[in-house]
Amino acid sequence: MSAFHTLKVGFHRLGSPPNFYQLATRLAPWFWVGFLITASIGLYQALYVVPPDYQQSDSYRILFIHVPSAWQALAGYAIMAVLAAIALIWRIRTTEIMAMACAPVGAAFTFICLTTGAIWGKPMWGTWWVWDARLTSMLVLLFIYLGIMGLYAAFEDRRKGARVACILVLVGVVNIPIIQFSVEWWTTLHQGSTINFFGESTMDPAMLPPLIWMTIAVKLMFTAVMLQRASLDLIDQDRRKQWVVGAIGEQS
Amino acid sequence: MIPEFEYAAYVWSSYAIFAVVIAWQAIVPFLRRRRLIAELREERAFKTGTYGDQR
Repeated sequence: MSAFHTLKVGFHRLGSPPNFYQLATRLAPWFWVGFLITASIGLYQALYVVPPDYQQSDSYRILFIHVPSAWQALAGYAIMAVLAAIALIWRIRTTEIMAMACAPVGAAFTFICLTTGAIWGKPMWGTWWVWDARLTSMLVLLFIYLGIMGLYAAFEDRRKGARVACILVLVGVVNIPIIQFSVEWWTTLHQGSTINFFGESTMDPAMLPPLIWMTIAVKLMFTAVMLQRASLDLIDQDRRKQWVVGAIGEQS
Repeated sequence: MIPEFEYAAYVWSSYAIFAVVIAWQAIVPFLRRRRLIAELREERAFKTGTYGDQR
């Protein structure tokens, strides 16, 4: 009972803009440090340590940025959807702002995934692009992210904009399982999953470490940017409030 | 130092896109923060009448 109460109080405190701002500005640099360390290890292993693939040769090294970006584009959307649901149900403004801050970072990872996928596709498939289910549903994800950002920015009343955009976030959730299972439901040029968390992976174990490091790196980077964007949005919205004057005064 | 790859143009251009997008994501909040703090300071200085003393 007391643990639940502590958790509840902690959650409510986090919902307070000054507390969230303070926590976000303190944590974000550490997430960036974590990103730099893990990405350095991951990139070193991806470019110097792992051997070339016996069929795709060195072109498969694109995988170490393509796959973590794709996973983060999907995970980012899932996080945004949970935050949007909390924001719509409990009307917590910081959650609303955090949900909106996820969209540009998620869009960036979707863009990386699509462009690196096209670059990888040219030498391996002989084409930059095909309208197969995986590629098309991923492109739809980019458009959904851009739509959310556009909708949020289109309203002068930021709170109203966020609420409308949160509804679009929840509608767009339908695209996530389509992306995930597109390679199973339809015949696609895009290969099926080679890494299974609950089954046997078909990827050579030697290739896994850089993939894991880069996956951790993009997660840390997503969190850092999301916190930074959310804290900035918060001071922008609350610019007339006393806590912002205090917070800015502290930093000057 | 720089590894020689088959399909090097494809590999390096992919990593370059990754680096540019990540750098962009790092720079945008930094620039926005700078602009926002400058705006808030200007507003505050205008309100308190210390406009000429800033900077």
